[in-house]
Amino acid sequence: MEVSVTYVDLIQLLVVLLGSLSLAVIFGKYLARMIIYEKRPLEKTLGRVENEFYKLIGIDKYQQMTWRQYFLALVVTNFIAACFLFGVLVFQDLLPLSPKSGLSLDLAFHTAASFVTNTDIQHYVGDKQLSIFSQMVGLTFMMFVAPATGISAAFAFIRGFIRKDFGLGNFYVDFIRVIITFLLPVAFVSAILLMVLGVPQTLESSITVQTLEGAPQTITMGPIASLESIKEFGSNGGGFFGSNSAHPFENPNGLSNIFEIILMLSIPFSFPIAYAHLLGKGRGVSILVVMITGFGILLIVGLLTQSGPAGLETRFGSFGSVLFNISSIATNTGAANSALIGMSPDAIISLLVAMFIQAIPGADGTGMMTMIVYVVLTLFIVGLMVGKTPEFMSMKINSRDIKLAVFVFLIHPAIILIPTVIAYTNGDAQQLLGSTTPMTFTQVLYEYTSSASNNGSDYLGASADTPFWNLSTALVVIVGRYVPLGLMLAIAGSFTIKDRKEVVEPIRTQGPVFTSVLLIMTFLLTVLTFFPFLIMGPFSI
Amino acid sequence: MESSKAKIFSPAIKTVILMIVVTGVAYPILVMIAGQSVLPEQSNGSLVDVDGKIIGSKLLAQEFTSPKFFHSRAASESASGVDPHITKDSALSQIQGISDATGIPINHLTTIVELDIAQNNAANWLAFSPEYANVLKLNLELVKQYPEIYSEFLNAGGK
Repeated sequence: MEVSVTYVDLIQLLVVLLGSLSLAVIFGKYLARMIIYEKRPLEKTLGRVENEFYKLIGIDKYQQMTWRQYFLALVVTNFIAACFLFGVLVFQDLLPLSPKSGLSLDLAFHTAASFVTNTDIQHYVGDKQLSIFSQMVGLTFMMFVAPATGISAAFAFIRGFIRKDFGLGNFYVDFIRVIITFLLPVAFVSAILLMVLGVPQTLESSITVQTLEGAPQTITMGPIASLESIKEFGSNGGGFFGSNSAHPFENPNGLSNIFEIILMLSIPFSFPIAYAHLLGKGRGVSILVVMITGFGILLIVGLLTQSGPAGLETRFGSFGSVLFNISSIATNTGAANSALIGMSPDAIISLLVAMFIQAIPGADGTGMMTMIVYVVLTLFIVGLMVGKTPEFMSMKINSRDIKLAVFVFLIHPAIILIPTVIAYTNGDAQQLLGSTTPMTFTQVLYEYTSSASNNGSDYLGASADTPFWNLSTALVVIVGRYVPLGLMLAIAGSFTIKDRKEVVEPIRTQGPVFTSVLLIMTFLLTVLTFFPFLIMGPFSI
Repeated sequence: MESSKAKIFSPAIKTVILMIVVTGVAYPILVMIAGQSVLPEQSNGSLVDVDGKIIGSKLLAQEFTSPKFFHSRAASESASGVDPHITKDSALSQIQGISDATGIPINHLTTIVELDIAQNNAANWLAFSPEYANVLKLNLELVKQYPEIYSEFLNAGGK
């Protein structure tokens, strides 16, 4: 079908880019100050509030952590939060606010794992299966924990490169500051704006009315605005409703659609700007250019063929749906404002490539970390080609660093392709989806890709609420989150004790040449890894 | 050993408890208080009433079977299944049938459709959404403008 991008569509794209980049400039500067503990606006008040929290928790804010201590504190905090969510979901029938029957153990385990890792794949239908308490105290809470964890880890990671023995920081200090002085205020203001645009916020779970023709209609509601704002801003993506951001209560109109896209992109785009403040303007801008160009390539591929109108919402149209979904999947948010089945095969290829790369721009915090892993790999490969010892920020990259970086890179295909093969050899894929076609293969590949990249969008939804799919994807989200985080913190731990030489970099990590090479490498490395599977899947639809 | 375990778990547990209170309880409640006091209409689901009786939400589709009304597209054709929005073409294509069933002149119906589309366009600042009509709003307009034709629906529900 002929694809037409109208000038109105281009205005939408322009507003999205201008809006998210303006926020990123403000947030990037703010994040940079948090990373190096510089004065922020309202520092006195914020500092006083934070100190109260540190006192309550009983930590010494000056105590620095090694990468192992930092990672351990991160994992333990996440584990406790996940146990809490698991308990809430299993026992929601005993808890207040429109109790519903508790989730099965495997579904609760999957949901807790999925939300704590910033994935938010949903094998349940939120509006039917969850109580208001679960949506609010369980999930909304977790939607702060997950991005704050990623952002904190990225703080520690970036500190590793700043200067020798700067220290990686203290996990609890970062985690609390990120939530209290960054995520929470922005989520609050965004929730208010979403309410202005029509998103409900009430403790009433539903009302029943008589329609114009006199038939009974049950309208499901709840504290949606407070969940929706952090869902998008925190690259979470788990919807209040089963139909996610396609539901008019989560995303009522074109304005809310654009606003939610801007929210999703703003933190991922902030990190290269923070990086520019801390490690050199050229370097940060180069990475930002790679992210935006990569995002543009995804968008062009996604628009090659027309998506919809079946499976799409009329109020967003084809462009508004593709723009939302690519922004959401490229930031590993995983929200969707249409059914994936309504997306064209080219759009699906674009979404899969975004999840294979995980860094254009990627999720809050982890997108930037993954991009720096690509930088290290690029320096290594280019170093081999031109015969120079690879160096990054005037530090020698040794063989251990490269091994860790390669491992971060390789774990991703491993935890996508091995489970996909197991799902087919066990017969679980055929049992769920019937005979094997390019379309059903794409759905299985997508499920594990989305899990491994902590994305959260999926075709299967509640139909995958079986022990095999719940446990296998839960395992993949856990490995896909914590193994790369641990490895990347280990890389930071290795860099923070290195000597810096004040000499010219043998391979410059900024400027148009490096930017182009990094962009090509990012796509080349991932596409080469996954190409056969793209051929078997979406290319054959 | 005991003390080192406590050293790891104690701050983590306390952090989690505090964040549950702040982000899971205080934050949504504060948003609700703000919404219910300043934006009561949206906070409660953008409900619409006819003569004081709530008949639905203007953001959600409802089932219309009568030939006197505009109809949404089938639930399985959209993603949410509950969106009340249809394209301009779809709205205009239904006009002849409604006119036949009600006797309302076609140009009146066209005006109602175009007015609704214009309103939606304005609400989306012209550029942020394609042209669409809201089926529920169209039908409410019909009921409002032609109460005698739609009297059977106004009296529905034992009012």
